[in-house]
Amino acid sequence: MAGIIFSKEHNDVNTLKVESLRQQAEPSSSTRSIVKQVYIYVVLLLIVAAFSVMKLDEVSLFGRGSFLSPDSIINLLRSAVPILTLSGAFTLLMISGYIDLSVGSAMSLSAVVFSWMVLNGVSYLPALLVTLVVGIGMGCLNGLLVMRLRITPVIATLVTLNLFKGLALLIVPDGLSAIKSGVDNPMPSWINDFARKDVLGGLPWAFYIALLVIAVLVITQRKTILGKYAAAIGGNRVAAELSGINAVKMVWVLYIVVGLFAALAGVARASYMSLGDPLSGDAMELNCIIAVLLGGTAFSGGEGSVAKTVVGALIIMCVTTGLMTVIPAYWQTVAKGSVLLIAVVLNHLLVRDRLKA
Amino acid sequence: METNQVRKLLTSGKLSDESFLTLFMIGVLVVVFGIACIVVPNFYQPQNMINLITNNWFVIILGIGVTFLLITGNFDMSVGGVIALTGVLSVYFCQGANVSQNALANGLGLPYGVAIGLTLLCAAGVGAINAFFIAGLKVPSIIVTLGTMMLTRGVAQVITQGAQRNTSLPDAFGVLGNLSISGTSIKLSVLVMLALIIIAFIFEKKTVAGRRTYLIGANPEAARLSGINVSRHLTALYIFSALLAGITGVLLASEYKSGMSGMATGYEFDALVIALLGGVSIAGGFGSVLGMFVGAIILSVVTSSATGLLLSPDWQFTLKGIVTFMAILAQRFALDKRKG
Repeated sequence: MAGIIFSKEHNDVNTLKVESLRQQAEPSSSTRSIVKQVYIYVVLLLIVAAFSVMKLDEVSLFGRGSFLSPDSIINLLRSAVPILTLSGAFTLLMISGYIDLSVGSAMSLSAVVFSWMVLNGVSYLPALLVTLVVGIGMGCLNGLLVMRLRITPVIATLVTLNLFKGLALLIVPDGLSAIKSGVDNPMPSWINDFARKDVLGGLPWAFYIALLVIAVLVITQRKTILGKYAAAIGGNRVAAELSGINAVKMVWVLYIVVGLFAALAGVARASYMSLGDPLSGDAMELNCIIAVLLGGTAFSGGEGSVAKTVVGALIIMCVTTGLMTVIPAYWQTVAKGSVLLIAVVLNHLLVRDRLKA
Repeated sequence: METNQVRKLLTSGKLSDESFLTLFMIGVLVVVFGIACIVVPNFYQPQNMINLITNNWFVIILGIGVTFLLITGNFDMSVGGVIALTGVLSVYFCQGANVSQNALANGLGLPYGVAIGLTLLCAAGVGAINAFFIAGLKVPSIIVTLGTMMLTRGVAQVITQGAQRNTSLPDAFGVLGNLSISGTSIKLSVLVMLALIIIAFIFEKKTVAGRRTYLIGANPEAARLSGINVSRHLTALYIFSALLAGITGVLLASEYKSGMSGMATGYEFDALVIALLGGVSIAGGFGSVLGMFVGAIILSVVTSSATGLLLSPDWQFTLKGIVTFMAILAQRFALDKRKG
């Protein structure tokens, strides 16, 4: 404050400082930032509360008893494994200002590759490792197209979306809808172990690995250089590169991480359904986008939070599984589309104001 | 892009990059067609050549709107959903009211003309929603239109309860989509497509609004500063694109005499692919409707020769992906070579 009185030459800078101080002190601005911090938890609580008071007992689709019964919570968390595994890495990519629309197809292809290997007698670990390598390969391809060949991310990943989906459909034999048990070639029952077998508290390995992935990514985002660089690239790529960040390499790595976790999510899905469905990952990119937007990550990158995306992912799972019990299945798409547009509006209201201030 | 414009001015005696690329893609088309004629049995027959164009009228109509939006640097992924929605709505408006116990057989019982008018109004509404988010709230177009894609298809699913509506329709409903020039397989829809292509071509080359589309794509900020109302222009283009999808939906529903919620799945991607094959640049400010038309025929040659070679339909996705990448890279290579 002293600067304003004593030194004329730094007047501009100090006025700016005072301006920003005043804005921080303004009650409306601080309320807004509090709202921004907590709204997603409130939304989650409200949705859970809303479904809890509805009468779900007659509905057989969704466990027994109410929305909050242990059975239904375990069910929900088990089916949430793929999106929990995937959405964290997706957030990091979006923070850096890039997008990967191929995650759903990458997941389908991984599920198909994994179950094809299991069906043909490959044991668990090699099958898992090969699938993860396939995932890394897919991420590499996306990174190559976007970062090296400089094709617009949306276009490049939309095309790889169809490419991966096409490959998954090609691997599945003609006349079958998925890689699944045949009469003379049954699927080994242990394929279920990863995503269904009770390890601790009714939840399977896949869930705890998803938690581990989230924890690693939260730490990556908050504490490591990769997280800082992602935000810097998303905020202003030119400035980031001028200050010595190798943006091409960084974002390429992020694409590979997304591909890797898409493959892991695919394995979890294949294990959960005990078959390799080439359409099982459809619309996963939309779920991820909804989760990321609900979590308050800016559209154009630069800021965001992996932890909040996870809350966003839980919100989607609650809405979709909850709605399944109260309205017919053909309402699903319209519900999800509405949630996406609502998320866009919420994100617009909260993130944009912050940027202005 | 600015350097492109400058270069275009400097080399005004020569071919513009745009015409060069269109010619380049026509060359690619000739090569691809030649290969297909050699490899695929009976590919060169005249009826097959006509089919290459007439079987794709719906994607080409969609491509017009998508091309203009891509030129401004925006996507429209909702066109497939809009086709499903408008197809279902046109059926719902026409079905007799209270004619059956079955909920899917009862509609509003409106005359066909009124039904089409209302349906197109709804399509324009979807375009307006897209425009509100994209031009008004400045949300990236890909996110918004993916949302409206789900919304429109979702509403179609709700109206048809996840299936289709095809009963208790008046006879007039099936006329438009099945009209054809006597003695040929050329349908009214194909003529509509040709008329729209010509209108779009004139709009693109000869009108102020058409040229502004390019300026907006090349540099939105400069366009705004030079007095163009960018958001109004985008709004008009999004409503136009949704209306084209609406016309397609009405014609397709009439052709099949049915409103199916699963109709036109993936058409948004096809429309995008043909625009890219035709040399439209997503960076904005570059491309043409004529190029898109050439791109559509290239894609049609590739997919129909895959069918001719008895490849399984599952190949379509992979083929489209590979062809698109090759086209994007070939175009970039050709343009770079040209610049030296």
